[in-house]
Amino acid sequence: MAKNPDQVTDLDAIVQGFHASGYVLDRALATSIYLLIRLGKPLLIEGHAGVGKTEVAKVLAALLNTELIRLQCYEGLDISAAVYEWNYQKQLLAIKLHDGTEGSSDERVRHIFGPEFLLERPLLRSISQSNPPVLLVDEVDRADEAFEAFLLELLSDFQISIPEMGSVKAVSRPYVVLTSNRTRELGDALKRRCLYHWIDYPTREKELEIVRTRLPFAEKELSEKAVGVVQKVRNMKLAKPPGIAETLDFVHALETLQTAHIDTAAVEQTLGCISKSAEDIAAIKNAGIENLLCS
Amino acid sequence: MHPETIVDFCRFLRENGFHLGVLDTLKAIEITRALRYQDVSAVQHGFRAALCTSKEEWDAFDALFESFLMGTPKPKPQLRDTAQPAAAFALINGMRGFSGRELGREDTKTVAGASLYERLSKGDLSDINRDDQAALERIAQKLFNRSVSRLSRRLKMAGRRSMLDLRRTIHAGIGRGGEFIELHYRCRKPNKPALVILLDVSGSMNPYSMLLLRFAHALQKQFRRTYTFAFSTRLIDITAALRPRDIADALKRVSEAVVNWSGGTKIGESLEGFNALYAKKLLSRDTLFLILSDGWDTGEPARLACELRTVREKVRKLVWMNPLLGREGYQPTTRAMAAALPYLDVFAPAHSIASLAQLEEHLCSMNS
Repeated sequence: MAKNPDQVTDLDAIVQGFHASGYVLDRALATSIYLLIRLGKPLLIEGHAGVGKTEVAKVLAALLNTELIRLQCYEGLDISAAVYEWNYQKQLLAIKLHDGTEGSSDERVRHIFGPEFLLERPLLRSISQSNPPVLLVDEVDRADEAFEAFLLELLSDFQISIPEMGSVKAVSRPYVVLTSNRTRELGDALKRRCLYHWIDYPTREKELEIVRTRLPFAEKELSEKAVGVVQKVRNMKLAKPPGIAETLDFVHALETLQTAHIDTAAVEQTLGCISKSAEDIAAIKNAGIENLLCS
Repeated sequence: MHPETIVDFCRFLRENGFHLGVLDTLKAIEITRALRYQDVSAVQHGFRAALCTSKEEWDAFDALFESFLMGTPKPKPQLRDTAQPAAAFALINGMRGFSGRELGREDTKTVAGASLYERLSKGDLSDINRDDQAALERIAQKLFNRSVSRLSRRLKMAGRRSMLDLRRTIHAGIGRGGEFIELHYRCRKPNKPALVILLDVSGSMNPYSMLLLRFAHALQKQFRRTYTFAFSTRLIDITAALRPRDIADALKRVSEAVVNWSGGTKIGESLEGFNALYAKKLLSRDTLFLILSDGWDTGEPARLACELRTVREKVRKLVWMNPLLGREGYQPTTRAMAAALPYLDVFAPAHSIASLAQLEEHLCSMNS
């Protein structure tokens, strides 16, 4: 199903391509992805945990038949982990080896700050590929503002300056996907630069379709009941509402247990798939599992 | 879509609280070109992706798009109460009769907003009338978020004092021909400070409670280890209630959790409850302890002093912020306040948004 970016001429191609990889997407998200490919603008995806934000980048890379370069953000992420780092050991070794040999010091400095001593980290790697990769900047809200400012610079100029070498221009522009869980409000400038897409929890119908696509062996009645339960649990204001992965786990678990029909006991046994915190499980039990099952 | 229509649409969105510049209009025009051969709904989706920058705008967009196509003249601002500074300024501008005109972003901020902004952020919270309330809340949210995020960065930096562990550094250098590439430090990576907030919600604090709650919410959003308690005659843990990101949601939950709003004040007893139940778990040398109260106490001052001493021994810093302190001529002579003073590291006003934003200074002022 892999395509050349030029072959992606309309939304249907994207919808079908994603479906083929097992990702169910609506036309709105397809439009955003289409614009990402066509206009080369970064796409910022926000949404609750577990609605398939990261997956978009992975499937997109598969669709475009290109490499996925992932940068997982965390507090304290810095340039040396995200962009580049000098290989100090190798540099020192080179200095020792060249001790006493001929050659001006200028030359030697240029040598040890050459490309062979440079360790490329995700961001630098993403702009130095001949075939444009998909760059996934995951959970950008977790990185601090200094890094956000740097990212902004990269996304506007697509070049990185390395003081010892000069600036490195992009060989090709990567397709950039940023995801955020909204633990922190991102800077206005960065948001301005991006297309924005909010992925909500799926509707009942869409979630059923996802279950059908991902777990084709699951029985229809069982999936319908299970999805109904998850949809109700999501409305319960838990600390961590279940995402799509949880739904799939839940259906899979029920299927594996071979319960003839889904009842209170079966749900109670598999509650750990839906919720992973003791407080939330207690809250679900308090609300009454039988209430979740009635439609 | 005709470029002129797009310009009109962007202006329409701006009037409805969207924060759009000329570049965004260009972006929208670019998008119509890219989506030339697609259907109308694709254009709507494309505009939404290009012109929204937050979930709040995202949610409001579809209705606005439709009402624009229908030709509805001027609906009222739709955006919900959020931390969006854009919305705050749009609101302020609206109040000053600026709404229709197209202004550059910088202009709106400085020209129209300045005096109201000044008045609201420096004025005593209890003097502010109801009309200004919404604008005030937005300004507060913005200032709080800014000051608090700066604070969390400063504290992180402040924790970075550590001693070189020469032995391990040299040992690590052996494999590298005696060059010290990795420096090892004597202490482990310092923990981030925890913050414990005790918020007075008794009757005398009424004019301030709501804003202080917002302040606590902003703090809690920024510090992963923040624990917030409300008290009047007894102590209630509202940490969980304040957890929703959405401030309206959080405030609703707090109002459900706190049963004794606007009651009397027993600071000493509330603190005793805290010391008995939570102190062991929450207080340590990297804890900052913040009390937000006016110090009108109906309990026994000696008891308050005793409990405060217990807290003081355990935490890094004890800060008391008092809304009354901002008033002219106020002296902390109530018995409770007088009894508490010896144990405080910082005693500071909390009567206005600006003074609350000073928290940063208080917490970083002393190296301890």
